[in-house]
Amino acid sequence: MSTPVHKRGGPIRDPGDVLAGVVLLIASAILLFHLIPNYIGEPPILQNPMMSPRWLPRIVGWLLLGFSALLIVQGLLVDNTDKEDGRRIEKGPRRRFALMVVALLVYVTLFEALGAVISGILATLILFVAHPVRTWWVYGLAIVFPVVVTFLFVKVMNVPLPVMPF
Amino acid sequence: MEIISEVLQLFLHPENFLAIALGVVIGVVVGSIPGLTATMAVALALPFTFSMEPIAAILLLVGIYKGGMYGGSITAILIRTPGSPASACTLLDGYPMAQQGHAKKALKMALYSSVIADFISNIALIFFAAYLAKIALNFGAPEFFWLICFSLTIIISLASGSMIKGLLAALLGILLSLVGLDEVFGSQRLTFGNYNLMDSISFIPLLIGLFAIPEIVEFYRKKALPHIKAKASGASVTLSEMKRSLKTIVRGSLIGVIIGAIPGTGATAAAFISYSDARRRSPRRDNFGKGEVEGVAASEAGNNGVAGATMIPLLSLGIPGDVITAIILGAFMVHGLTPGPLLFQENLPLIYALFMGIMFSSLVLLVVGNGAIKYFSLIADIPKEILFPIVLMFCVYGAYAVNNDTFDVWLMLGFGVLGYVFNRAAIPAAPFLIGFILGPMFEDNLRRSLLIGGNDLSIFVRGPIAWFFIALTLGSILLALYRYVTARRLPTQTDTSQEAP
Amino acid sequence: MMNFLKAASLAVCSGSLAMAASVSTVQADEWPTDDVRLVVPYAPGGTTDVLSRRVADLLQEELDANVVVENRPGAGSTVATGRLARGGRDVDHTILMASPGHTIGAAIYPDLAYDPVEDFVFLQNLIDIPNVMVVPADSPYDSVEEFVEAAKEQNMTFSHSGVGSSIHMSGELFKTLTETNMTAVPFAGSGAALPALLGGDVDVSFENMPTVLSHIKSGDLKALAVTSAERSEHLPDVPTLREGGDYNLDQFVTTAWFGLIAHESFPQEAQDAMREALDAVMQREEFQNFAEQLGAEPGQVAGEEFKQFIASEVERWQEVADQAGISQ
Repeated sequence: MSTPVHKRGGPIRDPGDVLAGVVLLIASAILLFHLIPNYIGEPPILQNPMMSPRWLPRIVGWLLLGFSALLIVQGLLVDNTDKEDGRRIEKGPRRRFALMVVALLVYVTLFEALGAVISGILATLILFVAHPVRTWWVYGLAIVFPVVVTFLFVKVMNVPLPVMPF
Repeated sequence: MEIISEVLQLFLHPENFLAIALGVVIGVVVGSIPGLTATMAVALALPFTFSMEPIAAILLLVGIYKGGMYGGSITAILIRTPGSPASACTLLDGYPMAQQGHAKKALKMALYSSVIADFISNIALIFFAAYLAKIALNFGAPEFFWLICFSLTIIISLASGSMIKGLLAALLGILLSLVGLDEVFGSQRLTFGNYNLMDSISFIPLLIGLFAIPEIVEFYRKKALPHIKAKASGASVTLSEMKRSLKTIVRGSLIGVIIGAIPGTGATAAAFISYSDARRRSPRRDNFGKGEVEGVAASEAGNNGVAGATMIPLLSLGIPGDVITAIILGAFMVHGLTPGPLLFQENLPLIYALFMGIMFSSLVLLVVGNGAIKYFSLIADIPKEILFPIVLMFCVYGAYAVNNDTFDVWLMLGFGVLGYVFNRAAIPAAPFLIGFILGPMFEDNLRRSLLIGGNDLSIFVRGPIAWFFIALTLGSILLALYRYVTARRLPTQTDTSQEAP
Repeated sequence: MMNFLKAASLAVCSGSLAMAASVSTVQADEWPTDDVRLVVPYAPGGTTDVLSRRVADLLQEELDANVVVENRPGAGSTVATGRLARGGRDVDHTILMASPGHTIGAAIYPDLAYDPVEDFVFLQNLIDIPNVMVVPADSPYDSVEEFVEAAKEQNMTFSHSGVGSSIHMSGELFKTLTETNMTAVPFAGSGAALPALLGGDVDVSFENMPTVLSHIKSGDLKALAVTSAERSEHLPDVPTLREGGDYNLDQFVTTAWFGLIAHESFPQEAQDAMREALDAVMQREEFQNFAEQLGAEPGQVAGEEFKQFIASEVERWQEVADQAGISQ
């Protein structure tokens, strides 16, 4: 109970829960009224409504709707922000986070184009810089590991990773 | 007397011992690498067994299976990356323990409970195979349906913190598990015409994304803290902890044996059922999920208890309970042996030699596991800024390896983001996982029962096994309600738990 | 910095050395000039995978080149097949192990981006595994006739291992031809389907021979018929479905076939080399023993004949799928 800063700022007791509830409420509404009717085919003849491919998704959708509404109510009435549930963290510099996002993007967008080795080296280097790692020999690991691991995957485990761009 | 010497003659071959040792080592190593599963290793090893003696061939595969079951827990504990699906439950307590500097304790407990469970499972295989096989045969779709209903109630006990959030997570899990082609009609559900989604969402990218990626994202989101050198070794398991967990391990093993004997349920469900059972009974209930050694014991006992027991339907009925046993069945057939009742009549010495090898593999697992812990626990010493980029690389390669497609890398990252959002919103990931695993089983068995029964609902109460699981399900819900009413922490929620699917 | 460079160059060298070593067995001018990729459109461990690895081993010796097995599972083999149809740079060294999923997939998956017949060359049908029409041991029906007569009166259930499997489609075909009432009960794989059949929860199944052979021999299941054109040597007393000839069943011949296909632009020279190598593989004792253990018969067709077989299969399954309402 060190610094109760933004608490009791209004009728909303737990803004995080309310936000999560609202997002889920919207998502379940989209699911129920748009996705299920349009993206789940239903066979023309059904002996039993429970046999329908839409049956369980619809039930899950309604339950989601109900529980997210409850979550909003709970967020309005009960304050859970004190609980130790790992929601609060001390944020670091933006650059660190941004570089990590870049590294992730390198993997997903360039994996097939550049191959496992080069994208692995690139992403690992970016992550080392992001932290930043100041021990210089560690950067060597960023090259050794992708090469060795790719080799193991491809040759020993027979996993056809895209090795090189050529 | 004659049969004993024949059995020994078959079993006492250096090739057999080598096969077991090699198998367990391969299993532990492969199982510990995220994305590479024991299933894959068994499949890759299969062609090499064609030229081996039948017993050695099968023992090699069984060794990989058992090693892989344990190996998955190593990375689950150390870097929150379940090496195999079944170890997802182990990380709930294993990773917090590692963070508190008790990595070695967690690893040792995982090993000991794995070996004990394995041993119990083997005993069940050898002495009770015939009885358990009979249960398995009487386990039709309606019985299965109730077993799944009972398993779904464990979500209630796994939803630490907020019940509403736990149920929401489980519902989301069920929803995502339904993506793909419909089991009965073959129509598409929420695939948006994407071919990669038609076989439903791959489990391994989901697993890695949900648990490993958020940890990495969070690390880079937070301010860089100087690395605190945790004594990786730490203390081992103390005798009193072992004593405390022993009952849990035995119970978990029995749960594993029963689940394993029923084809098609799988080790992951067994681990979670065992975990939630342990949590329900333990006096240290509140410490579960925060680094409780008993939690690690329970989940590892559950998933390793399955390993020996899946051999029961395989050997006595010729029915493979999961993908790995299906491959082992293939190995039998390549050597001209067909598992089933006939094998027991025609080739009893071979069966007993196999049993001896399987028993021996538990022992090998203990030795290999101990060696592995010595080296693997060094991972806990590596500063996170060096470890995490390399872990991420493994995750990406592993996710790609599942279907050899970049789509799964995208999927993994997507679930990474979801997992991160879950963390921020304090929504527990474990119920999500349970929902994802059990959702399709729930629906399939419901519809299967209706098809078999010709839409007659009386099929759901057709026999004692079904009644038993109905009673368990109701009991479990009532117990949860009772706990709620007595605890009265959040009175607004008491009426909601009943609606759990 | 020195050390860093050294480490880097060492690593790169070791990588390239290893790769160089792996291609050293390949000779220059004649096809194959590179490693041959054998794509398996299913996950490791299944029948297709095991067969492919066995064939790859033998093919490696016959071709005197590396044959690398690659698993690309997804959407009942159509993901891998679509990828092959799209072509690519190493398409002249890529072959794919096709199975009934190739023809059934074309019937039940919507908007396939490829033509299952025209986009490929068909090299060799390697093995055929017959399906067996099996009923539980305590079933009152002892012959196909008895079963069909009963099925005209009451609704029967048949188990299968998943929508679009050859087991499922065989059941639907049977239902269509005999004009009986039958409900398909889906299971996740044959392993899960078997207990329901053994326990009598379903009335019949058209299982793959290797899955049920031991249960037939032990008396836990009754075999009413086999679905292949000729009787199987594993079950010489069991008639074929078309033997009776009644109920339109003379048209009922289906097997789970496995064969190698390649992209339409697969060079003629390569086709000849493959054909020759595959002939040699199929003569090998190892291959024949392997097929025998799977309960399979060696494949009959190759080349143009194989292609015609595929074309007729595609057409037939399309009809069955339309009738059963499983093509979406």
